[in-house]
This record gives sequence, structure tokens and C-alpha cells, in this order.
Amino acid sequence: MTDESILHNIRILDFTWVLAGPYATRLLADFGAEVIKVQPLLPEADDGFGRGYYNTWNRNKLGITLDLDKPEGVAVARRLAGISDAVVESFTPRVMANWGLDYESLREVKPDIIMLSMSTMGATGLWRDYAGFGPTVQAFSGMTYLTSFPGRPPLGPGFSYADHVAGLVAALALLGALEYRRETGEGQYLDVSQVEAMASLSGSAVPGCTAGGGGLEPVGNSSSEAAPHGVYRCKGDDRWCAIAVFDDSQWRGFKRALGNPAWAGDGRFATLAGRLENADELDRLVGEWTREHTAGEVMALLQREGVAAGVVQDARDLANDPQLKGRGFFIELDYPELGRTTSDATPIRLSRTPARYRRAAPLLGQDNGYVYRKLLGMSEDELAGLEGRGVI
Amino acid sequence: MYRVLDLTDAKGMLCSRLLAGMGAEVIRVERPGGDLSGETAGGPSCLYLNSGKRGITLNLESVRGREVFGRLVKTADVLVESFQPGYLDSLGIGYPALCEVSPPLVMASITGFGQDGPYRDYSSADIVAGALGGWLYVSGESETPPLKPSGDQAYYSASLFAAVGIMLALWSRHATGRGQHIDISLQECVAASLDHVLVRYFYGGAVASRQGSLHWNNAFRVFPCADGYILLTLLWQWETLVEWLDSEGMAEDLTGAKWRDREEQLEHLDHIIKVLERWTKTRRVGELVEKGQLMRFPWAEVASVAGFVDSPQLKERGFFVEVREPRSGKTCKFPGAPVKFSRSPWRVGGYPPEAGEDNIRIYQGELGLSGKEIERLVREGVI
Repeated sequence: MTDESILHNIRILDFTWVLAGPYATRLLADFGAEVIKVQPLLPEADDGFGRGYYNTWNRNKLGITLDLDKPEGVAVARRLAGISDAVVESFTPRVMANWGLDYESLREVKPDIIMLSMSTMGATGLWRDYAGFGPTVQAFSGMTYLTSFPGRPPLGPGFSYADHVAGLVAALALLGALEYRRETGEGQYLDVSQVEAMASLSGSAVPGCTAGGGGLEPVGNSSSEAAPHGVYRCKGDDRWCAIAVFDDSQWRGFKRALGNPAWAGDGRFATLAGRLENADELDRLVGEWTREHTAGEVMALLQREGVAAGVVQDARDLANDPQLKGRGFFIELDYPELGRTTSDATPIRLSRTPARYRRAAPLLGQDNGYVYRKLLGMSEDELAGLEGRGVI
Repeated sequence: MYRVLDLTDAKGMLCSRLLAGMGAEVIRVERPGGDLSGETAGGPSCLYLNSGKRGITLNLESVRGREVFGRLVKTADVLVESFQPGYLDSLGIGYPALCEVSPPLVMASITGFGQDGPYRDYSSADIVAGALGGWLYVSGESETPPLKPSGDQAYYSASLFAAVGIMLALWSRHATGRGQHIDISLQECVAASLDHVLVRYFYGGAVASRQGSLHWNNAFRVFPCADGYILLTLLWQWETLVEWLDSEGMAEDLTGAKWRDREEQLEHLDHIIKVLERWTKTRRVGELVEKGQLMRFPWAEVASVAGFVDSPQLKERGFFVEVREPRSGKTCKFPGAPVKFSRSPWRVGGYPPEAGEDNIRIYQGELGLSGKEIERLVREGVI
């Protein structure tokens, strides 16, 4: 039993695209779920980056083509739902309903089906038909507004963080619903609003939700609990090191790492309250020291004294990071169109039943034969007919 | 119902909160007389992060404390902790020891760098994980320092990964009867949530850099309006956009045919941005978002905190939940369900427990310790 992947007997019919949805199903496919990715007859993306992006988020999945704008295609989708444990989609709410593939319809073919929708705004509400991508979600949820420097226009993160968050929330919810089905025999409908998934991580910003009053306005890299706390310029071109000093013992370590300079003995910096109150001055002095060293030196000197510090790493640094590489964080898979490809492993490290990286993302319709013949039991004639009519 | 023991600091508080949301009984174990995680404990969001948990105190550094802990572990399905690697082993209660006490136990460890590798014993913090994992370098403007995402997002994403891992391990346990150890590294969780950054490097050698609110592929950018900020697409449905501006006399030269050429657009993006900005500055956020969304532009209000708490959509869906503070009777709002389950609704949970609030109920009522034993444990500082 322990040789088998955890989710080896779970089949997921996946209508999602871009990042949030594929990220959710990749998390489960890495642990053995049979994810059947349903794609229109035209490829999702054609340029080099687009193919790399698609390949990265869709490894370990099967790929089939299906035209859902044809009634015959919808009928096939319903048959597929009938042999699946879960259906996942990331359209605006009207899309699946227009096809007749909404939860109530799918329950007719599979009474205990689990269906997860992950639209921008959720399946209900005044704004339910709003369309969006990661940046849209981050803007609506307060993330963009709060991620900036004090007094400056909103910036937001430089990547679609909300897609990863929504994907994680969706994967968690699917696993929760599988547990519930195991106990009760019942499936259910899971309504993920990507904006709400993102907003659920804004606890520290909501007034009254916080002990200290919360952050209604952006604070840059500063913290109400640590000083120095920030990103400091180091020797070299655009090189920086992040440093966080919370308590007095860390502050003593920090001073030792710098060789106990005279300024660090200033009474104003003796307590955390004093360091917080004089954080701007402290930042300036810390920056004078870091500028004399490379980011790697700053990190090493501070870590030797137990102080949290880390190089602000760019993509090249990450690909060469000794810790990430040492733990095998980058994996390689052969993709027919691109040769050997590299991507990030799952950070979920299970001791007994680890993730497996079995294959790269499917080419368009790569698994039509397996899914339609073997799983749905279609005859050659039926298959040829569907192909001929442009349904698959 | 699964029982979860929560021995985490801020790195992992959200993990057991999520499990509580899906119905688990979570017992937060804190050091007698204070918070488990010391001064840096909670941060301002810990009220929400610890809502819906029970609270006990226990000194794991005492022999008696570890005896009691062993009994507690036998009643638990899951243990989540975030100590430095090796600390629990040094007390004789690391995963190998606990696995002997209770083979079905699922244990998750959330640490800065994971349980092995050259940085294993290094110190971390949310901003440090964000730096070493790659979030910071690509956030901010080219002339500003790299910028941390708002909130302890490295901790939150690590908690999400850990919660998914725990659910996977519990599912595996149905088939095998055995638990396992889950090793979560903050740095890896950040590096696994980088959207375009690693893809562009591995598929073309591009090193992404900071460019303010301008999306890496120029798809989106933040613009000022008369009453706030809006997120607009720049080139999406170009002809529709230009027609709209033109109908308001704001399109300037963008109506020219040459602007339909994608290369022309990208080469003179600054000009397009200036024209759009002159337009948005005269308009209100709400009207542009509403009309834009009707026309299938994926635009958004750049909502402030008050803006999203009061948004009609989140209100209509009842996202924020009022929670009563037991002592003062005051109410506050906690974020609600990150996902709506139709049959097994998310549990938001009440105000977080005081340290040791449930000591008697759990030690006496459930573990069966006598009143005398409990008195002794209190006297000796064990609980």
C-alpha cells in the first residue's frame, strides 16, 4: 500500500486554465490524483514563454481535447463527470451553467460529485460576473493597496500571488470535501471566491481584528515588532539583504556581528521600544554598514550570530541557491516540444509518501486515446466520429 | 473529528486555523505564563489566527511536562510545530520518538529552511523568507528597495502548504494506518509561489526585475482616479478601449491606425500610459470599474482596507464575521471562510483562548489527571 501515491484512486476533471486552477490541481496531481485536463481544440499558448508556463503548472496531468460549444462535447463532459470524484473550474459563474455543466446538472450524473468553482468574485453576489486575473484579485482584496511604501501610490506584489493562494485554498477545500464524502457518502459544491481567498490572509489589516490597531496604510518593509527590519543596500549593483531583529538577544547578536560599533551602543537603541521609535535613524546606520559588504557577507555575518538575514535573491540566485538545490527543490522533466525542462518541486515534503514527478504537461489531446477509449469505453467508430465532427 | 495540537509561533498559526475552519478540534499549547513563541509571538493578526482554538499551557522542557505531553499526543491525530530543527529532538520528543508513542500521528514542522540542507540552522523571519525565496526582488519600483508583500505572507503561504500536506497525510493514513512527518520550508513555499519568475528564467534565461505596478508582461498597471486608484489593463480589447476614450474626447492620437500594431504599442507604452492617466484622473474608480467589467475588461478598484471590508460584494456574501471579545463585550470583524462549502460549512470560531484557559477541562476532564496532580503541575510550573 505504501508504494502507491496518496491520491491514486482519485480522479479530477479539470476545466481550469492559466494559473490559479492549474496550480490547485498540480498540487494534487503531484500526489497521484488522476487529473484530466480538458482543453479546447486550440492550444492555450503558443510562444516559448507560454508553453513553458503551461508546462510548469500542468505536469503530472492527462490532457484531452473537447469542444464544449458543441452539444455532443457537453454530453461527453457529462459522461466524464460521471466517472470522476471531483470537477474543478475557474470560469465566471455563467459559463458552466450555460453549458449545462453546473453543480445541479452534474449531480444528476454523479450524485456524490464534488464540484469546485474558483471564480474571481464567487458564485453569488452583485459582482459575480466580474472577470479577473491575479492582479485584479490582489487589487480588490486590499493586497495591492497595502503593498507599497508610506505615502506612495499602490504597487502590489510583482507577481500574481493571489493565484497561488487561490490554488492552495482550492486544493485544501477539495481534500476537506473528500474527507467529508468518506464520512458521509455525500459530495458538495465548493465556492471559492479568489478575492475572498486572498482577503482571508489580510487578518492583520482589518481594524479591530488586531491587537495593535492594524495596518490601514502601507508600511513598506517596516514592522511594528522588529527594528531594524527591512531591506538594506549592499555592495554591488542592485544587491540587497533583508534583516529582521526582534528581541534583545538578537540585537546583541546583531551588534556582535558588526563588531560592536560605537553607534550601536547608543542608549536609544537599548530596548526594542527604543529601536522601534528610532527605526529611521537605525535604518540609516545599518545601511551604512551593509553598503560596505556584499549581500552574501551580510547574511553570513548576521546568521553566524543568530540574526535572521537573507540575500534578496533574483531568479538566477534562486536557480543556484545552495539550500534550494541541496534539498532538491528543482526537478527536471522531458517535454516533447521543449526537451528537458526545469521547474519547482512541491514544497510539501512527506516522509512516507512523497510527491512523484512522473511526466511533463500533456500535449494537446495527448491522452484522448486513454481517456476516451479506456476510461469511457468508446468504440473506434465513436471516437472517429467525434474527431471527424471536431468535437475532440 | 480530528484533534490537532498546535505548538507553532506566527509561522504556523494559520495552519491549524485552517484545519479548525474545516472542523478539526485544535488545542493550542503554550508555555506556562506566556506565549509559546515569546516576544515575537503573534503579531497583530494573532487574534484572528488563533480564533476557534482551545488553549492549554505546558512546559515541554520539564520531565513531567513531557510525560503529560506524551499522553496528550496519544489523543491527537495531528501535531503542528515551528521550532528550530532539532529542538524537539533535543528534548526527546522529535518525530521519531513521537512516532513510537503514536504511529498514526501526522506531524508537520514549519521552519525557515526545512529540516536539512546547509541553511537548516539559520534564523528566518517573514521578510527574510520573502527575500531568499524570490518575492522581494521583483516587487517595488526600479528605483526603490525591493518590497515585501503586505502581511506575513511567507508564514501564511507556508501554513497553507502545511495544511494541504496534513490533509494528504491524513488521507494516506486511511489506507495505511500510519502517520508521517511533513517538512515545510518557508523559503521553498515562497519560491513555489513566484508565478512568472522562475518560468521566465528556466525557459529563456530572463531575470525578472522590479517595475512598480506595471505587470511583468505589460498587461496591467495601477492608475490614479479622482477619488482613488484603479487597476487597468493596457492593451486588452484595444479597439474597444480606444473607442470608449474617443467617445469621451480623451483618446488623443490613439485613434490612429498605427496604434493597433502590438509592437508599436509596446514600444510607446509610456505614451499610452500618459493618455490613459489623463483620462482616469478625471473619473471615479467605481464608475470605471463597473462599466469596464460590463465590457469584459478585468479591471479592479485598488481597494483600501475600508474599501474591501465595506465592498457590496463581500458584504452580500457575508465574508467578514463579527466576533465578540468576551471580557469587554466589544465586537470585531474576522475574515470568514476562504471557501464556501455547501454541506460542511467553514467554522470561523470565536475569540482566541487565554493561555491555559482549557487546562482543567483537558488535563482533568479528558486526560484524567486528578485535582492533586494538577495542583502539583501548576506549583512546579509544568502547566
